[in-house]
Amino acid sequence: MSVAATSAEEADYFACFGIERRYAIDRDALERRYLELSRDAHPDRVAGGTTRAMRLAVERSSRINVAYRTLRDPVKRAEYLVKLGGIDLDRTGGDGGAPDPGQAFLIEMVELRESLEEASSSGQAALDRLRASIESRSEDCLDAGVDALEDDDIRGAAMHLVIHRYLQRFLDEVDAEAGLDD
Amino acid sequence: MADLDGQPSQRVMSNNNATLHDTGALFQIAEPEERAPSKRRPGFGIGIDLGTTHSLVALAPEGRAPRVLADAQDRPLLPSVVAYTGEEPVVGADAVAQQEEHPQAVISSVKRFMGRGIEDIDFSHPYSLDVDEGAGVIRIEVESAAGERRLSPVEVSAEILRVLRDRASAELGEEIDGVVITVPAYFDDAQRQATRDAGRIAGLNVYRLLAEPTAAALAYGLDRGGQGLFAVYDLGGGTFDISILRLRDGVFQVLATGGDSALGGDDFDRVLAAHLLDEAGITEPTLHQREAARIAARTAKEALSAVESTTVSIAVCDIDGVELRRETLEGLLSPLIERTIRACRRTLRDAGVRARELDGVVLVGGSTRVPRVRALVEETFGRPPLTDIDPDKVVAYGAAIQADILSGSAREGVTLLDVVPLSLGLETMGGIVEKIIPRNATIPISARQVFTNYSEQQTAMQIQVVQGERELASDCRSLARFELKGIPRLPPSMARVEVTFQLDADALLTVTARELMTGTKQSVEVKPTYGLSEEEVDKLVMESYDFASEDYSARSLAEARVELGRVALAVRIALGEVGHLKDILTAEERAAIEAALVDGDRIMAAEDADGDAITAARKALEKLSEPFARRRMERALLAGMEGRSLHDIESALAAEEAELDERRGGHSAEIIEE
Repeated sequence: MSVAATSAEEADYFACFGIERRYAIDRDALERRYLELSRDAHPDRVAGGTTRAMRLAVERSSRINVAYRTLRDPVKRAEYLVKLGGIDLDRTGGDGGAPDPGQAFLIEMVELRESLEEASSSGQAALDRLRASIESRSEDCLDAGVDALEDDDIRGAAMHLVIHRYLQRFLDEVDAEAGLDD
Repeated sequence: MADLDGQPSQRVMSNNNATLHDTGALFQIAEPEERAPSKRRPGFGIGIDLGTTHSLVALAPEGRAPRVLADAQDRPLLPSVVAYTGEEPVVGADAVAQQEEHPQAVISSVKRFMGRGIEDIDFSHPYSLDVDEGAGVIRIEVESAAGERRLSPVEVSAEILRVLRDRASAELGEEIDGVVITVPAYFDDAQRQATRDAGRIAGLNVYRLLAEPTAAALAYGLDRGGQGLFAVYDLGGGTFDISILRLRDGVFQVLATGGDSALGGDDFDRVLAAHLLDEAGITEPTLHQREAARIAARTAKEALSAVESTTVSIAVCDIDGVELRRETLEGLLSPLIERTIRACRRTLRDAGVRARELDGVVLVGGSTRVPRVRALVEETFGRPPLTDIDPDKVVAYGAAIQADILSGSAREGVTLLDVVPLSLGLETMGGIVEKIIPRNATIPISARQVFTNYSEQQTAMQIQVVQGERELASDCRSLARFELKGIPRLPPSMARVEVTFQLDADALLTVTARELMTGTKQSVEVKPTYGLSEEEVDKLVMESYDFASEDYSARSLAEARVELGRVALAVRIALGEVGHLKDILTAEERAAIEAALVDGDRIMAAEDADGDAITAARKALEKLSEPFARRRMERALLAGMEGRSLHDIESALAAEEAELDERRGGHSAEIIEE
């Protein structure tokens, strides 16, 4: 498919910062490198230059910003490593798409939603308890995904991260219910 | 969710209604024309703080400390007020003096109208507003001595910029090279684009739009020289911003920004004015009473920043020596100030920063002089705010420093990494917003999304771009509609159009599209929801140029040359193709046309060429070659009709016309095609 051509021309984000392609990173080193690259690539550097130079600077700094956004965030970084391993969680089904979390899990999600309705009617304390329990489960899920990544088990990592996404979305719903969105 | 510049996710196109739209100023469609590197002139960059109530211009040439330029009466602040009472617009204190007498022809706080639609104007104002048919640009209708005028807020802002530009060029003794104009960090794309357009119309080379809190931090951060985490609380006349910034390794990074682009000292005045009118028992104030109360309210508010109590007198409202205490004012302002504090908390959360981690809190904007504002900011951030730099001038200082850097000075500068204040998204099925770039993403940034067709018949699709945090597109601000056209006829889901959304360092959006099967650039026709069209901006730019007379004639000469050159070329090509056919062109006619061509060449080549003479030569050539062009067209038509049905001929003609249109590229028709 021609979409592949778009991603093939891009070097991976780890290479962009000259760091090893793995989950554990030195965040301080990443940030220093990011600031260094940004200083060099920012369009203000070529102010008054040709349109082409300006466009290239905008494109280059866009890439650096996207790369940094992805790598500094623990969840995005894990999902990106899975993607580099051949599984894109943003796509559904088929080869290379997000794995199906399974019937049992989906039924559990339906039950969770029901308990959210209950908690919502029994007040803030109940919502907080529900939130705390799902949050800790979500964190465990991310940890399991990271462990799988360190073991080079892309499929396993993808499954944990898909479930992590479901749980995160559920947490957003809890927050919306609690009116935390402001 | 679209990937930020990664492998794009995909979505089915939503509709195929094809209607043509103007190309807007908001987006660039084709490859931008190559611009030669401009010769920058270090030291000739200026910084302008284009404020709601007043504006300033500052210079910091070649590494020197920034300073604000004052007018002849030594006044540094230029009231952002433009009077359209006489032949020429008047800006500043002289305009303010006419405000009470001509409330509808003297325009103040125009910044609140910039890039807004009529539905956004939910505050009281004395003006008569109108909206353009089709596009949503607001027009302020003004009766002036020069007749009735319909002004866009962009033009009014340009008048203010022009005065400041002239102030700076008088100081420098030369034309300025370029300008950094500050905008509220919370300005959306339409408001930023409007500001940039105002700069262009004022004849300025806009290096950059800079967020006001970032400019203030630049002025402070450089003074301190080190590292640190800062909050900038900026409450101006009409806008409120809160930004959390970090300085490290020579980079000023905005971590998060928040605010309200329609909240400021103006609202303080309005609330107090309403209170004064209410106290005086005036339930339905006249325009004059309202304006007089607003002006008195501002004076009282300013006085109460220094003293506990003041008296108010408004003749037209029969208010005479009424006492007003600071606590009364504070009670009235509390709900407004609370709104800013809630935004501060939210922005700290977005930045992932706790108040106690901050190294400093900076106050910017005249409205931070209100003691209650200071007290609440101190309470929220747990430390006394920094106020060592004049809060009215600090933004202009920062703008001047950045302008100096961008003019090419050797000044040691920091790199500014700003963020987009509000999420960008697309309207999807059911009016739901799909976010493509989240708020507080560091700019420049880009995101891509692939759209596929839902049927073989679909060759076009319409997309609406919105900005805001709400779920429904109707609750966000519509930035633009654009249309993808020329999608190849392919089975469902086979045509794939990749759309790229690029935000530049000014947080201005550009949309481009490309068909992935063929790799060809797609045409994207964009209609900005609130912006002036590119054509109107160009026209206003032209009108505003203070061309010296020789510049003027040089330009019309150049235009006349181009015109004649084009007509002559077209005639020569036609002669080459069919000039030998006697039924189309007699020998006498041919000789006359050739003589006119030679004439044209001679006039163009003359040392002292004159625009009018060239135009006359072009008209003569057009007149002589007209019968030839007509016969040539008729012949082509006849040849085409043989053995074809009327329907075939009509569609062939339409196709030819389309092809001609394409070749003309929007220019006027050439003589041989008439």
